[in-house]
Amino acid sequence: MSVTRFIKSSVTVAEMEARKIRHDSTELWTRAIQPALWLLIFGETFNAIRTMPTGNFSYMQFITPGILAQSVLFISIFYGITVVWERDVGIITKLLSTPSPRSSIVLGKSLAASLRGVFQAIMIFALALLLGVKIRFDLPDILGVFAVVVLFAMCFSSLSMLLASYMKTRDRMMGIGQALTMPLFFASNAIYPISIMPTWLQYVSIANPLSYVVDAIRSMLLEGTYQNLPVDILALLVFTTIFVTLASRTIKKLLE
Amino acid sequence: MQGLILLYYTCNYITSVCLMNFDLGNSKVSGVTAIEADNLTKIYRDNIRAVDGISFSVKQGEIFGLLGPNGAGKTTTIKMMITLTRVTSGQLRILGVDVAKSPQEVREMLGYVPQSISVDVDLTAYENLLIFAKLSYVNKKERNERIRSALEYMDLSGRANDLVKRYSGGMMRRLEIAQALVNRPRILLLDEPSIGLDPSSRKQVWKSIKQLNQEFGTTILITTHDMSEADELCDRIAIMSEGKIAILGTPTELKKDVGGDVITVNLGSPCNIVSFPKEVGRIINNNEKSIQILTTNGEEAIPLIADFFRSHEIKVESISINKANLDDVFMKYAKRRLGDTVYKSIRSTRRDFTRHSR
Repeated sequence: MSVTRFIKSSVTVAEMEARKIRHDSTELWTRAIQPALWLLIFGETFNAIRTMPTGNFSYMQFITPGILAQSVLFISIFYGITVVWERDVGIITKLLSTPSPRSSIVLGKSLAASLRGVFQAIMIFALALLLGVKIRFDLPDILGVFAVVVLFAMCFSSLSMLLASYMKTRDRMMGIGQALTMPLFFASNAIYPISIMPTWLQYVSIANPLSYVVDAIRSMLLEGTYQNLPVDILALLVFTTIFVTLASRTIKKLLE
Repeated sequence: MQGLILLYYTCNYITSVCLMNFDLGNSKVSGVTAIEADNLTKIYRDNIRAVDGISFSVKQGEIFGLLGPNGAGKTTTIKMMITLTRVTSGQLRILGVDVAKSPQEVREMLGYVPQSISVDVDLTAYENLLIFAKLSYVNKKERNERIRSALEYMDLSGRANDLVKRYSGGMMRRLEIAQALVNRPRILLLDEPSIGLDPSSRKQVWKSIKQLNQEFGTTILITTHDMSEADELCDRIAIMSEGKIAILGTPTELKKDVGGDVITVNLGSPCNIVSFPKEVGRIINNNEKSIQILTTNGEEAIPLIADFFRSHEIKVESISINKANLDDVFMKYAKRRLGDTVYKSIRSTRRDFTRHSR
């Protein structure tokens, strides 16, 4: 009984987000601008000068999964700001005063973030089609990418909510978000292969979760190989569980 | 398979029957106190004692008012009830259930309207209620009917599918109450329900609060610093000040506490009254042309006073009445940090008088 209630509540919180997007979807479109610019400007430029050792693939092919992962990372790591804003307008108070368990509210919020992540993935797929980037459009690959995107967004948005319950204000969350995204993004294999990094940075990128996400998406979209996928998904599941558990304990702090 | 389906429907039928009974018995569960606080304390970080060892109980079916100036601890008390903040020490029971032990169970019995607007303005009114009903686990079959009746009850049916951001403040407030009604709470907690409302919206909110209490027997706890609101709505009142309950009683009791009504008689010519009938009232101030008389019931005393002056052949120019109200009680018990001396009027004279006469 309580498991079904838990799931129902989580889905309802995500439904709330979906309904909001249905009323006003401007944000989805504006969010697509940044990855589009990365692909169009950064991607096309480096594609033309052919300096990156990207193996059998063109640089555009190489960077598309990276930009997909990056834009989902941006959405989810700043999701705490949305939650802080919702605290300011009383929505969090309202949600936490319902009989639903708090962990289901946090899980629902992270599902809401992953909903935005999925839209982002769709946008980037469309963009890739438009630019003629050759990626595998097989159904299992696409579904696999969506699965990774959902888990990835849940993982980092729950981390963001955990941070938000201590940071409490939008300004601080903005700062912490910037401080996290830049090293995560640049010390990963999103826009260049790990092999060209200096040795110390290679060690950093091994510890960087984004590298694994990019790796998983890239292997599905470019190579069609899945051997690393179970490990990637397991790691994401474990971290999501940890962050959701911690955040559901701390989220009440937001109200104090 | 058919057996399973049958079992499913039987179960559903039984739960719906139980739910119906629950609704009918909604008003009263015999014997249990609605809200019981015993030595309830909340200490925030930095050692601020927001609520300092208060004890009170609210009976089922009652409208109970928590009054006090800003920062007296009213909102903190409500937040402890709805389990948004933890109880530091002491006990707090909602219909016999300890908030510290079973927070989820407690939240299931309560409806809560926070001080500031907390409906989602990016959704429609219907969606706000729908989401809330789902999160409160309202039975799927009853859900739409309950949403419809809550919207109708708060007079919002006509604009149910409008985005809430297009609503006026009063409508948002009403939506907020409608939202709290969807899970048919046994106890409704209202934190400053009429703050920022124009007089007519405020009247409308008051009307629905009273109606809820009378029709469904819902116990209502309301915080306010508006004395007329408390006087209008509450069966009993507790005045909080600096985290403590300064006084608790019915509005009538509290008003008696600060004395009765003051009647001012302005005379045509100066005169000295030697004896005044005690059963009518007591003269508390006499500056020859204007006499102030303290009475227990002003309306009844006016004709008697008029008769008295007529029989003594003293010309009366005017008689005015100044009824005791909860403002006096508030000013007496709610310690104010600023402007203690601001309040100087006939009322303080009366208060001093009653205090001295005891």
